[in-house]
Amino acid sequence: MSAAAELHSLRRGRATTKPQNLAAFLFLLPWFIGLFLITLGPMSVSLYLSFTDYNLLQPATFTGLDNFTRMFTDDRLHQSLVVTFTYVFVSVPLQLALALGLALLLDRGARGLPFYRSAFYLPSLIGSSVAIAVLWRTVFGSAGLLNQGLALIGIQGPGWISEPSTALGTLITLNVWTFGSPMVIFLAGLRQIPTMYYEAASIDGATKWRQFLNVTLPLLTPIIFFNLVLQIINAFQSFTQAFIVSGGTGGPADSTLFYSLYLYQRGFGSFDMGYASAMAWLLLLVIGGFTAINFWASKYWVFYND
Amino acid sequence: MTDTFTKNTAPAPDAVQPARVRARTGHRPIRSVLRHAVLILFALVMLYPVLWMIVSSLRPNDVIFRDPSLLLSDLEVGNYTAGWNAFADPFSHYLLNSAIVVLGAILGNLIACSMAAYAFARLEFTGKRLWFAIMLLTIMLPIHVIIVPQYVLFSQFGWVNTFLPLIVPKLLATDAFFVFLMVQFIRGVPRELDEAARIDGAGHPRIFAQVILPLMVPALATTAIFTFIWTWNDFFSQLIYLTDPDLYTVPLALRAFVDQQAGTDWGATLAMSVVSLLPIFLVFLFGQRFLLRGIATTGGK
Amino acid sequence: MRSVSIRRMGAGAVALATGAALAACGTSGGADVEVSEEPVTIRVTWWGSDARAELTNEAIAAFEKEYPNITVEGEFKDWGGYWDALATTTAANDSPDVIQMDELYLASYGDRGTLLDLNEAADLIDTSQFDEAALATGQIDGAQYAMPIGVGVPAGVVNADLFEEYGVEIPDDSTWTWDDYAAIAEELTEASDGAINGSSVTGGNDVGSVKYWARLHDNELFGEGGKVTLDPEVLASMWQYNLDLIESGGAESAAQAVESLNAGVGAGSLATGKIAMGFAYNTQITALKEASGADLRLVQLPGSGEVDANFFKPSMYWAASSQSDNPAEAALFIDFMVNYEAAAEILGTERGIPANNEMREFVSGNLSETDALAVDYMNSVVPGTPPVVTPNGGSGVEPMIQRYTQEVYFGQSSPEDAAQALIDELQAEVDAAQ
Repeated sequence: MSAAAELHSLRRGRATTKPQNLAAFLFLLPWFIGLFLITLGPMSVSLYLSFTDYNLLQPATFTGLDNFTRMFTDDRLHQSLVVTFTYVFVSVPLQLALALGLALLLDRGARGLPFYRSAFYLPSLIGSSVAIAVLWRTVFGSAGLLNQGLALIGIQGPGWISEPSTALGTLITLNVWTFGSPMVIFLAGLRQIPTMYYEAASIDGATKWRQFLNVTLPLLTPIIFFNLVLQIINAFQSFTQAFIVSGGTGGPADSTLFYSLYLYQRGFGSFDMGYASAMAWLLLLVIGGFTAINFWASKYWVFYND
Repeated sequence: MTDTFTKNTAPAPDAVQPARVRARTGHRPIRSVLRHAVLILFALVMLYPVLWMIVSSLRPNDVIFRDPSLLLSDLEVGNYTAGWNAFADPFSHYLLNSAIVVLGAILGNLIACSMAAYAFARLEFTGKRLWFAIMLLTIMLPIHVIIVPQYVLFSQFGWVNTFLPLIVPKLLATDAFFVFLMVQFIRGVPRELDEAARIDGAGHPRIFAQVILPLMVPALATTAIFTFIWTWNDFFSQLIYLTDPDLYTVPLALRAFVDQQAGTDWGATLAMSVVSLLPIFLVFLFGQRFLLRGIATTGGK
Repeated sequence: MRSVSIRRMGAGAVALATGAALAACGTSGGADVEVSEEPVTIRVTWWGSDARAELTNEAIAAFEKEYPNITVEGEFKDWGGYWDALATTTAANDSPDVIQMDELYLASYGDRGTLLDLNEAADLIDTSQFDEAALATGQIDGAQYAMPIGVGVPAGVVNADLFEEYGVEIPDDSTWTWDDYAAIAEELTEASDGAINGSSVTGGNDVGSVKYWARLHDNELFGEGGKVTLDPEVLASMWQYNLDLIESGGAESAAQAVESLNAGVGAGSLATGKIAMGFAYNTQITALKEASGADLRLVQLPGSGEVDANFFKPSMYWAASSQSDNPAEAALFIDFMVNYEAAAEILGTERGIPANNEMREFVSGNLSETDALAVDYMNSVVPGTPPVVTPNGGSGVEPMIQRYTQEVYFGQSSPEDAAQALIDELQAEVDAAQ
């Protein structure tokens, strides 16, 4: 171990002084081709369109910052920002906590775990099929299963997804409930932790809780960080769920008008693709800002093994 | 050195685990029962929707929306035959199309993303942080503003109405999600292992293929499973790029059942939804063992 | 890094190329309208379910038999995806040759030059069997951008089973008023002891209900030249009427109305027997009866006895793309679909009751029981002057009406405020597109 560590520092010192540009370029070649051939072109076009009046069917006309100044007086845009920020800040932490908790519970040490893992992952599988819209009405409707259950204990439940006051909360709950993806990533991450660390810890007489705090948690931070960054990026762009539940309207009464949903309505529903592009680039700035903060903060809490 | 190394990475999953399992469950039977009770209860909540779907797919159309229970009075198998034969091609045709797209996407993501991830995690090169930031930026724009210029681009390539727009981008690592995922996993692999291989004279291709890849099987499995599920369920890009009904995939066929104005055969729709869920469920059920084959199984060093 | 910067230039070129293609679209005219003797392939696109796809493919086969040198590639999508795909392909100058069109989008595409004026193919499409009023539904400023396929009429639907179960008489629909309607709705709710509600909300879930209410008050949603002529007081009175109906229990709650709307025709409150009366189009009776299994009947809406508030709503159109390389063949296909008995025999009333008089006569020979109901109803209706086609920029009017309606029914704004806000927003949308 100590020999390896010596070697490690030696090699590392050399690695940082000598860039490996050629090797890196070759490994990144497919990505570079994709970036320059497929990704950047459409991205730049959409950036250009954000400064134009573009209705999809006729040529775009340059309008400078008009689209951006219009945002200040667009009430529906403001409503969509409120909805989206609420969603991000409530559902991401809850979903990650639940995913991590269950990943720890389902990691190892009991019979039938493959079954439980699959069962808990199932809701994430059916995510956006047309059947799910039907299902949610059946469960969360004013005469739905949930309210029938509540009626047994004398509570008259509301129409969970059809009333403005509860619709967003229900969507957040449903999102938390589809914690399968981060859970799977946590599970994979747990398996990445070398058992030798646990063995060393238990030789030192550490309790399970201590082992969790001193071994599991620090070594899992890169994965927690990953899930946090990506879930935030995804949550800001959340679209499908609200689209399915509200039939694309963001209703009732705009209570589930997610930013991406409004952007889509402007772009395709109202042929206002210039404004939609401007909205997209504002979103990119917001998400990019949050991601940058996340990376900056990660220096203080994420522990890498390299 | 290489010898000891390969010996260590050879999967020996059951060598360590069973002992731990026995030790834990043996100690506290009550706790174990309690744990199972909680898990089962929780699993029921999670499973209800799928069970409801299966049960409803076996009901006549005029009962589906009146009965949220899971009890079946009579079996309406006709939904399955009606759904299977609803279109010009049998439903298996759409399953096959989806399978082709999904397999291409998985292959692409596994190869291209792992290569890019190796560069970002292990190599030093000019502008590394900038390129990484650009990579993350590419997944921050909603598809709806990208799709029109992208369609123009792909139609100039002559790719519209083929599977290429759905597969080629994956071969070019445009799914930054997975690159980032793999970067995080590779950074969890102790660097001593690379160094050891390098002393044996291995170059980057060999370190990548023989050291890193075997150690990141969980990340690769995650990538494969997620790519499968997300591509299988993806609707929008398939809608835009596939116009010939012969090329339709499962999500397109499922939507084509629905007509909000003129009425929908919900029984058939639910039946085919169940059929389309089956592959992804099976993939996860059997794929998860690869998630669990990590560095953990290499034991002490 | 040299090779990288070369690639960067490559990206610039790509961006320019796509930009140029975007700029070019819309302005590029198609080819001359002349029938070719050579083999020709045209693309036809429509929205709808599996049942429609099956019938349409059969009709396509019949067309290909009639015109052996023309091959037709059919494409079908669900309603939502259809418009996304159509906008994208049209933006990329790659739209299908023949397009199934809806009244809401007709002007949005027509005014922007992406549809072929079918007058240019006048000798290929026979319009003699269409009423002027029917043809007018496909015209904008004299250009015939689309041929109406079928028409529907707003109608009331009553569930006779529920009326019988709760001992309520089905009213005489030739004389009843909205006050009668409210009274009957309340009576049903009370008689059922709250098990059902008498009615759905009767206005605001779709644009047709607003048009009908406006026409009852000698008003119209849209006027000529892209004017929103709806009177805010009229709109407010429609909402107030329904607020009272919800309040009294005659109509289901606002939340239930939202659920019913999102569920669609086949799974909404009427189809599931939660209400006994509601608003629909006559052509939806087939889907409603199939889904509910109950004895549903079509009745005249209140007020129609006094004012000619009824109107024919074109259920859909066939249009040809101005980007088409084969406009003549596209026109031949449209002609075949609306004018040939061979097509009508296969298609029946699936796209609505044919707007072509001869074909309507032809298909009425072998109608299903529910289709016969729809045709009988239409024959009994006396339509007033046809409404103006939804103007360019107004394609989002339906979700907009739904949104303001929900705000009112959930008590977030008063009918008066919401009415003024809706009209202002709608006018702004239309103005922005002109």
